[in-house]
Amino acid sequence: MIRTMTTAVNTMNQLQHRLDLIGNNLSNVATHGYKATDAKFQELLYQQMNNDKADQAPRRSEDGIRIGVGARIGSLQMNWKVGAVQVTGRPLDFALTAPKQYFNVIRPTDGGEEIIYSRKGNFYVSPTANGQNMLVNDEGLPVADSAGRPIVLAGDATNYHVQPNGVLEVTHPGGTQRIELGITVLEKPDSMVQLSATNFGLPEDMAALGIAANDLLTEMTGVGRSEIGLQNQALETSNVHYEKEMTDLIATQRAYQFNARSVTLADQMLGLINGIR
Amino acid sequence: MFRGFYTVGSGMIAQQRRTEMLSNNIANASTPGYKAEQSSIRAFPEMLMSRLDATRVPTEKGLHFKGLTPVGELSTGVYMQETLPQFAQGQLRETELKTDIALIDGPMDVNEETGIVGTVFFTLAGENGDQYYTRNGNFNVNAEGFLTNPSGLFVLDTAGNRIELPNDDIRITQEGVVFSGDRQVATLGIAYSDEPDTLLKRDNGLFNTADGLALPAGGRYSMQQGYLEDSNVDAARAMTDMLAAYRAFEANQKVLQAYDRSMEKAVNEVGRVN
Repeated sequence: MIRTMTTAVNTMNQLQHRLDLIGNNLSNVATHGYKATDAKFQELLYQQMNNDKADQAPRRSEDGIRIGVGARIGSLQMNWKVGAVQVTGRPLDFALTAPKQYFNVIRPTDGGEEIIYSRKGNFYVSPTANGQNMLVNDEGLPVADSAGRPIVLAGDATNYHVQPNGVLEVTHPGGTQRIELGITVLEKPDSMVQLSATNFGLPEDMAALGIAANDLLTEMTGVGRSEIGLQNQALETSNVHYEKEMTDLIATQRAYQFNARSVTLADQMLGLINGIR
Repeated sequence: MFRGFYTVGSGMIAQQRRTEMLSNNIANASTPGYKAEQSSIRAFPEMLMSRLDATRVPTEKGLHFKGLTPVGELSTGVYMQETLPQFAQGQLRETELKTDIALIDGPMDVNEETGIVGTVFFTLAGENGDQYYTRNGNFNVNAEGFLTNPSGLFVLDTAGNRIELPNDDIRITQEGVVFSGDRQVATLGIAYSDEPDTLLKRDNGLFNTADGLALPAGGRYSMQQGYLEDSNVDAARAMTDMLAAYRAFEANQKVLQAYDRSMEKAVNEVGRVN
């Protein structure tokens, strides 16, 4: 059977995935805290063909010929560079200005709750019992402090201000409340599980992979907290480069077209074989 | 028998192999570090044709000498003899990722006998220590903290050891020295081959030596962090070659049809009475 067709179709399928990925980057161009992901290609298998064993002619390569069967996506990598900081003037908007630092958010699971990580810093207060408020993110999930607990604020707070070391100061008529926000550095973001456009979680099969949580992340505690970069009344925009994504989109679409052309040619060749008689 | 029947058949197979190779080039036009393949198509070994005949000497009873008169050489087909990667430098593309490294050829030594230009490669190793070579500098820091390629092979330093890093926030100099913060961790091991044509091409952009011996260090090169070396496939050329191969395939098919018609005539019409 003619190999040209399968080579081109395998590759078209993978190029389609790349188009999907570029589409996702483009649709999140205005998502705060979103990090662009890029796909890199790799070659598929090579097949060794010993097409003439009696070949005595001088040659430069090893015996036989090696023909490849296309390309596939080898890796998806996240670009963790910090996006542009956009000043919003809203007291509960916070932007992380150092790379790979993430807010901790508490997410309910089937049997309890777990910490997930996000750089999206538009927070809100949600009323709870006793006239107090809880700090939540835009999905309504509680934001965690450095001990992993929900942050409960006085209900009559008048001002919110965060120190560069990640301490949230809440001013209310009865005094000032100081809360250490939970900030975690994701050392290897590509090993994390992406739960949504901006949320990351630890992989579930860490034990099977033989890794521990502290291989992947570093909690910001003690003196380490001086490295936290936080800005008040601002949000981090996505780091998607619109023009790069558009260029990639065009290049990928053309590559798709080239491969489709290979399929057409292979089809015509099969037609020629059929038309021998 | 029509000798050319099988000759055009082999021509079709050779051109089909060529389109297969070219479609793989087109498929890998966006694979970093991919080296476009070229083929050499060669005629089957030639054979000498002779005419078997008898010479008649005019004597009284007639005398015959059997003898061979050479007719000439004939080759009975064609096959694809070699596929050779072309090791020209691909252009660099910025990716912004710190674990992407482009290897840039310096002025390489040329083998005076063969005219082959040497090439440098990154050195990789599998779990069991098998060494591979690649031009694809798309690396990653895996969960255990080793610098690996996308299929999990370890990137080696100059001493042949794996490179362990606390995170992927690294700095790599032009000479290939890896820094994590201010700490110097390792120097990327670069292998040099003075006859890259003898290397075997494998999946994932890997090469290995046919005899299993390790390539030496050396060569003149530099590195650029945050960039990848693009595939050196020229899509326009690949497409043109593909069309040329297609037409050659078609021409062979036409000759095959002509032979078929001749054969038809021989079977059905030669010696027909009415």
